[in-house]
Amino acid sequence: MKARVLPRNDVLKIVDLLRQQSYEVIAPFRERGRDTFLEPVTDQNRDRIQLHLPNPYYPPKRYVFPPIERLLKVERSNGDLQIVPTYDFQKRAIFGIRSCDVAGIYHLDRFYLGRELPDIYYQNHRKNLFLVNMACTDPDLDIGEECFCMCTDTGPAARDHFDLQLMDLGDEFMAVAGTPAGEALFADPIFRKASPEHVARRRAILEEVRKRFKPNTTSWFSAAIQAVSRGEIPEETWDQIGNRCLECGGCTYVCPACTCFTVTDHSVEDNGVERLRIWDSCALSGFTRMAGGFNPRRAIHDRRNRRFFRKLAHYFIQRELSMACVGCGRCAAVCHGDIGMPSVVEMIRHATTRSKEA
Amino acid sequence: MNPSAIEHVTPATGPPEIVENVYLPKVAVLDRVVSEINEVKTFYWHFEDSVEQQAFKRFRPGQFAQVSLFGVGEFPTSLPPSPTEDATFFTVRQVGSCTAALHQLQPGAKFAVRGPYGNGFPMEEYRGKNLVFVAGGIGLIPLRSAIIYALAHRSDYERIQIFHGAKTPNELMYVPNLHEWERTPGVECHLTVDRPGNDRSGEGWTGNVGVVGSLFKKPDVKVAVENTMAFVCGPPIMFRFVIKDLLEMGFQERNIVSTLERYMKCGVGKCGHCCIGVAYVCVDGPVFTYEQIKRLGEDI
Repeated sequence: MKARVLPRNDVLKIVDLLRQQSYEVIAPFRERGRDTFLEPVTDQNRDRIQLHLPNPYYPPKRYVFPPIERLLKVERSNGDLQIVPTYDFQKRAIFGIRSCDVAGIYHLDRFYLGRELPDIYYQNHRKNLFLVNMACTDPDLDIGEECFCMCTDTGPAARDHFDLQLMDLGDEFMAVAGTPAGEALFADPIFRKASPEHVARRRAILEEVRKRFKPNTTSWFSAAIQAVSRGEIPEETWDQIGNRCLECGGCTYVCPACTCFTVTDHSVEDNGVERLRIWDSCALSGFTRMAGGFNPRRAIHDRRNRRFFRKLAHYFIQRELSMACVGCGRCAAVCHGDIGMPSVVEMIRHATTRSKEA
Repeated sequence: MNPSAIEHVTPATGPPEIVENVYLPKVAVLDRVVSEINEVKTFYWHFEDSVEQQAFKRFRPGQFAQVSLFGVGEFPTSLPPSPTEDATFFTVRQVGSCTAALHQLQPGAKFAVRGPYGNGFPMEEYRGKNLVFVAGGIGLIPLRSAIIYALAHRSDYERIQIFHGAKTPNELMYVPNLHEWERTPGVECHLTVDRPGNDRSGEGWTGNVGVVGSLFKKPDVKVAVENTMAFVCGPPIMFRFVIKDLLEMGFQERNIVSTLERYMKCGVGKCGHCCIGVAYVCVDGPVFTYEQIKRLGEDI
């Protein structure tokens, strides 16, 4: 592990270094209250970057998988077709990405690039992306009521898949390089070698932070995976989950590991067409409806079932070699029916322990 | 949609492609259109680029392709030709906006195709077996490819039996092929209709009347059960009854295959729409054995 330390006052110089290397740097900002968001850094907003804040609900996956992305441009003239794929090669760095979201991007890597027929649009975004992970150390600002990265083994400090990881040690920050690109930044004089004392402090802080997570639901995650994979969830539990779903799709849009999309053609000037892909949600009733109206997945609990099955079934975890839930807690925060992942795990726990007792 | 909502897109001026773009369809030209039955037409086409045409011709029976009608959208469709035939074509019923747009195209019109996708029927694995094809209505479209393929490799297979049922004589599919198969030695081709009426030639229907399963019980029909693969394709209700009949005759669930249809956007295992249980119909299917279909746990 290559570790360095830098003074607290120099942390934002990492942003400057990346901007000098022509990265568009995305960083977290905060307005009033819980209103937090990721935005490109400019000379004007650079000093307002937040090092500790509640994780924005709108996840950073949009920098590798935009909510609306053009795939093709088609020109039509005299009956001829010109089909041109449109690619985005913008160099981007996300400064302050949380550990759960790093795991989310890793899951997307596994999904879009890890199998046959890789996705070139995703690849173009991904290979130009630089991740500066900020470990969650502030129990009041970084760790929310809904956070459960301890259960999914994705936080509070990511172990891999970042280029650089920062951790707040008080008046200093520790920086750990995860890739050669991250290590290359250490050439700058703001970084100096970390001492064994720094490493010990890092360990002590993490130990303290882990204690701040609520113990409930955590240990039940693997039990829920087992119950879902073995088909042990009673039908009435899926019904209960389905009955609480308002079909808003919010859980899938805030999820850093949801991958579904729809494709649509959009007319542009001069008789042209753009083919766009747009985030889609398995919570919406039209998701599986075929031309002619037949919908194999009609009942609402079927659709809910689908989302939790996709996230918790051992088959998919094995297929992607990573789990499609990273413990960020966004679904729990946005769901009006209280069927975010922790609640569902809890409902599964109740149902399966009850049926075992019976 | 508001074009300004399109984010993060710059023209293709960057480094060269490393992986193939699986979403990029290739331009195809419509050669001719043949009307099959009401609202079902066969579209003969070829790729504008002959290299693409050669590459595409490596498809397997049971695979599918994605057809683009730009400005309307893209839809998945079976490949009814066999790779042993020269022509490339689709047979498509008009059901939604994309298929309606295809039905309006005139010969010479350009559209786009990508594929082939999916697993297809493992025809090599079935060598040495009897093949029973059971097709209800336009269910013959995906099975046609496997039938023609099997006939082109006739010595690889034992008995070949074809059962095709339609609502009325006018709705029997691929009539020239049916006539040919009825005349081919070593092929048993049995037809039935739900309601007799006038057939295409204007003469009254003299064949069997009843659902496709009623053919299995005819005295002159003996369905091969041992060492047999049964291919079943058709509307959901027909599928359920035929499966019941086959199981009663003694077919093993793993010796019955079908192809599934689902709403799909990408065809390459990414968009998520066609996922049933633990399977993506586009990459793990569309061909599944009945044993697998039962485990997927969704309506057919």
